[in-house]
Amino acid sequence: MTTDRRPLLLMTPALLWLTALMVIPCALILVLAFFRRGIYGGIEYTWTLENLALVFDPLYFRIFLKSAGIAGLSAAIACVLGYAAAYAIAAMPRRRQPTLLFFAVLPFWSNYLVRTYAWIVLLNREGLIVNIARWLGYNGELPSMLYTEQTVIVGLVYNYLPFVILACYAPLSRMNPEVTEASRDLGASAWTTFRRITLPMTVPGIATGFVFVFVLSIGNFVTPALLGGGQFQMIGNLVYAQFLTANDWPFGAALSMVLILVMLGLLMAQAVVAERASNGKGQSDG
Amino acid sequence: MTQAFLSIRNVEKYFSAVKAVDDVSLDIRENEFFALLGASGSGKTTLLRMLAGFESLSGGDILIEGSSIANMQPNQRPVNLMFQSYALFPHMTVAQNIAYGLEMEKLPKAEITERVNAILDVIQLSHLAKRKPDQLSGGQRQRVALARALVKRPKVLLLDEPLGALDKKLRSEMQLELKRLQHEFGITFIMVTHDQEEALVMADRIAIMRDGALLQVGSPKDIYELPGSRYAADFIGVMNFLKVKRTDNGFAAPDGTAIATAHVSDGVGEGDAIAAVRPERLFLGDAGDNHFDGTVSDIAYHGLDLLLHVETELSDTPVVARMTADVADNHRPEIGQRITLGWLARDTHIFPA
Ligand SMILES: Nc1ncnc2c1ncn2[C@@H]1O[C@H](COP(=O)(O)OP(=O)(O)OP(=O)(O)O)[C@@H](O)[C@H]1O
Ligand SMILES: [Mg+2]
Repeated sequence: MTTDRRPLLLMTPALLWLTALMVIPCALILVLAFFRRGIYGGIEYTWTLENLALVFDPLYFRIFLKSAGIAGLSAAIACVLGYAAAYAIAAMPRRRQPTLLFFAVLPFWSNYLVRTYAWIVLLNREGLIVNIARWLGYNGELPSMLYTEQTVIVGLVYNYLPFVILACYAPLSRMNPEVTEASRDLGASAWTTFRRITLPMTVPGIATGFVFVFVLSIGNFVTPALLGGGQFQMIGNLVYAQFLTANDWPFGAALSMVLILVMLGLLMAQAVVAERASNGKGQSDG
Repeated sequence: MTQAFLSIRNVEKYFSAVKAVDDVSLDIRENEFFALLGASGSGKTTLLRMLAGFESLSGGDILIEGSSIANMQPNQRPVNLMFQSYALFPHMTVAQNIAYGLEMEKLPKAEITERVNAILDVIQLSHLAKRKPDQLSGGQRQRVALARALVKRPKVLLLDEPLGALDKKLRSEMQLELKRLQHEFGITFIMVTHDQEEALVMADRIAIMRDGALLQVGSPKDIYELPGSRYAADFIGVMNFLKVKRTDNGFAAPDGTAIATAHVSDGVGEGDAIAAVRPERLFLGDAGDNHFDGTVSDIAYHGLDLLLHVETELSDTPVVARMTADVADNHRPEIGQRITLGWLARDTHIFPA
């Protein structure tokens, strides 16, 4: 029996790269999570489940839940905004769509940190928005716009919105317009058509967008650090602190491990949804 | 003749500079089976889409029972369209696809189920009710699309090539079913088809479209036997075209033999003209009003009948003559044989060259 080895050959460089940069560090974290913390930092090589137990200690687990809440809310908002934008773009004349998509995704090509700092410039006590309000003659008390949970959500939504737009645009643009016309023809209103035809047919795009934003948000530490101003911690900040300030690598590793497992689970669920959708898809134009 | 049920008045459609539908006026009677024939790109789909409400009118008006539907939303029109591309809902099963339109009417569940099952029976797909569209063959999908439109029992049903993907046997079964449903529910059908035989068999009236305009409208018999133009004559069925000349007292073949005719179409001037005659109107021998000599170049056996290809100076391509099998048995011509073919003046149509 002969098997074609060429695909394997083509895959090798990428596999090596991933092994070196992804699998090995992840394996290290996995192992690290089961060691004890040394008294002056460092690692004591005796097996323990204490770190893992500590993750589920209410004190820390609350941060987990809170991060999940923030990530979930950000993902949900991004999905609503992103889907609407993608829908509008897909409804434009075909030849204008690439340009519109380009502009929608444009912020993505600039540096993440710079963009986040830009929000600080906009929102801080002497920032642009406050100045504009003063200039317009408003002298009253302004609510604190920086260093709140809402600001973090705004920042996360802003950062990951292009993902959602791209993820939702793909199935929307692939829809045969005659399918929605058929629904109208059979007596459905525009809204019913959206609810029963367009939305179900494009759910895989929304699921992809949601999972991406959720996964990227729940582990994010830059946005909460800068826009949250250290006022509250997300799980990413906690991990960051364990490794770089508290010097508790095993606990940091345990937190990371749980986080990675959550992400993996979500990504796999998303893959299943996408797979099922592509099985039941097939534009019905014979 | 009953009053016009569906009235299409001077309807026009421009896609920027392209004129897809050109000043079409048609009165369609209630419960009529109307067939639209025309070459690809002649505007058939565009006309149906305007009736269904998916293309705005560049000009003209559409009325049902005297009131304009031109500004009605597609879901409010008493009209259903079966799309040429089928446009099935990929995320729904066959049964769900068919039930969708009935759910929109807010019918009771039991009635929906009953009607869906009945129509599944008609299209012979009951056993596939739970499949998704992409698990069906092309012909099966086409039948689902047909059922989805039919089950609504609209006043007007627009069918864009409803049977094109079916094999011959299934196609004639479906043709019968369509006729039966039409009578049972009193539906007015407008059907686009590429199959002229299907149009001749099924339709009460046929329209031939060309470049967005109606070329001829009439009963199948009129369309077939009294084509109004060379294009219409050529489009429906097989037609022989012979080179003739105008003479002082009629028409004549190039060798001077007179050609008698009962039908001279408008626009035939001096000089060259075309005489048209159907293959089945030609017979062996010189007994008719007209005749010509030729050489048999090919014989095609078709079971019931026989097609002779005859080379003659009257035509650049061989003339086709259709003989019933018994004639052929008695004096079966042979390839290369010189024969005389005759035909009658009443079967002769003269068109401008
Ligand atoms: N959306 C559109 N934009 C521009 N031109 C169009 C559009 N739809 C149709 N046309 C043009 O209008 C003309 C008529 O098209 P239509 O689809 O009505 O033809 P048809 O008779 O249904 O052809 P077929 O038998 O191939 O289905 C064609 O020249 C076509 O290119
Ligand atoms: Mg068409």
